[in-house]
Amino acid sequence: MNYNWDWNVFFKSTGIGSEIYLDWFVSGLGWTIAVALVAWIVALGVGSVLGVMRTLPNKLLSGVATAYVELFRNVPLLVQLFIWYFMVPDYLPESAQVWFKQELNPATSAYISVVVCLALFTAARVCEQVRTGIQALPKGQSAAALAVGFTLPQMYRHVLLPQAFRIIIPPLTSEFLNIFKNSSVASLIGLMELLAQTKQTAEFTANMFEAFTLATLIYFVLNMSLMTFMSWVEKKVRIPGMMGGAK
Amino acid sequence: MQRPGQRQLVEERETMIRFNNVHKWFKDLHVLNGVSLQVQQGEVVVVCGPSGSGKSTLIRTVNQLESINEGEIWVDGKNVADPKTDLNALRAEVGFVFQHFNLYPHLSVLDNITLSPMKVKGMDRAAADKLAVTLLERVGLAHKKDAFPAMLSGGQQQRVAIARGLAMEPRVMLFDEPTSALDPEMIGEVLKVMKDLAESGMTMMVVTHEMGFAREVADRVVFVDHGQIIEEAHPEHFFTNPQHDRAKQFLRQLLTPMN
Repeated sequence: MNYNWDWNVFFKSTGIGSEIYLDWFVSGLGWTIAVALVAWIVALGVGSVLGVMRTLPNKLLSGVATAYVELFRNVPLLVQLFIWYFMVPDYLPESAQVWFKQELNPATSAYISVVVCLALFTAARVCEQVRTGIQALPKGQSAAALAVGFTLPQMYRHVLLPQAFRIIIPPLTSEFLNIFKNSSVASLIGLMELLAQTKQTAEFTANMFEAFTLATLIYFVLNMSLMTFMSWVEKKVRIPGMMGGAK
Repeated sequence: MQRPGQRQLVEERETMIRFNNVHKWFKDLHVLNGVSLQVQQGEVVVVCGPSGSGKSTLIRTVNQLESINEGEIWVDGKNVADPKTDLNALRAEVGFVFQHFNLYPHLSVLDNITLSPMKVKGMDRAAADKLAVTLLERVGLAHKKDAFPAMLSGGQQQRVAIARGLAMEPRVMLFDEPTSALDPEMIGEVLKVMKDLAESGMTMMVVTHEMGFAREVADRVVFVDHGQIIEEAHPEHFFTNPQHDRAKQFLRQLLTPMN
């Protein structure tokens, strides 16, 4: 293969002010983090509530959560994004439509759509992990909590969830990484996150290989750091005496 | 170990637990078949019977960890199966000790004990800590207050579980085979704590195979088989002169398992 690698391309001017191509990557990374982090926080909250709902004795509540999971897990992410971005706004009340389509900066409306989409998609997956975490606990734990007079919310808050979340840190970590990787779908509705900036750099400079190599490297380092952070969290909350975790 | 005024006062005491013709089915299995039983305040009743006889189910119906299909159970004057009964308030008055301890593994020994007084009764941290330390001294584990359950032996865990039950200052303590999951050398330390508790006047209902405990501590032994109470007697009578064949057979198997 005859390709002249030119790593200096990132330090060349884009022709816009004093901006260099590396700046595009920095700004793209910023959007990627802003999308993924906010979506993750929402997904964790919504998913935890749904996961708890699936383990409740109430048939209606657990049924609603099950239906949610089936719906959001069985439709491709990209289809969901298009629905949120192109379809849903048309069904909003008149004033909200005007606000979303005209008053908002296009980047902001794309941002909102992608955050909602990723958050609700990931919530279905978090839900399943929270549910299995709760169901993996010995039956005796809920019996012990009920026997001292805890209400259902107290039982979840003080006994079941602290244990369930510890168990599911590893699968939650992979979901946490997935949301960063999945955030690249935002490029398809024009949000200038990391992948969109990479494609734009490739088109402007014709240095496609360098651009995608850098993007790969950034995603890789980003996810490695997240993983390191999560294993630190896992160690931090490890229960003394269990799973070889004595301090 | 005769407790002061033990026998003669029983009639005058309040009835703490009353089963009235209780039935329960697990699908087709008739686990409780017309159980009627009374436990007076301050009384220690040992429930024994072959495995699968329904004795664990019986004790779990008292605080409604198992619901019942028919009949009534009154605990401290409240009908537990009545939907209007505040089950959480009732459970707070009834301590329960499980076969497998069921300590909260993510909490220290101290926090295991203080959690329910703080969350259910709204006790403040300082008072709850003080109470927990007192209870841990009572079960001989004050030095383990900062340990986590996984660091303790089975016997120690069960003693913490008893302290956890006592922290709610219950009016009744229920024990569901509290020593069955323990290594033989740890059974004694748990029975000792239970004996002390009985001597302090606690009302206790104990499902156990520890016949030594029954003989020494119980006021009454109840023998259950096939979901029915077959025999109900003073321990001395039960052990020396059981009336029913199934009780005789059960005792024979328990006392001389090789024959």
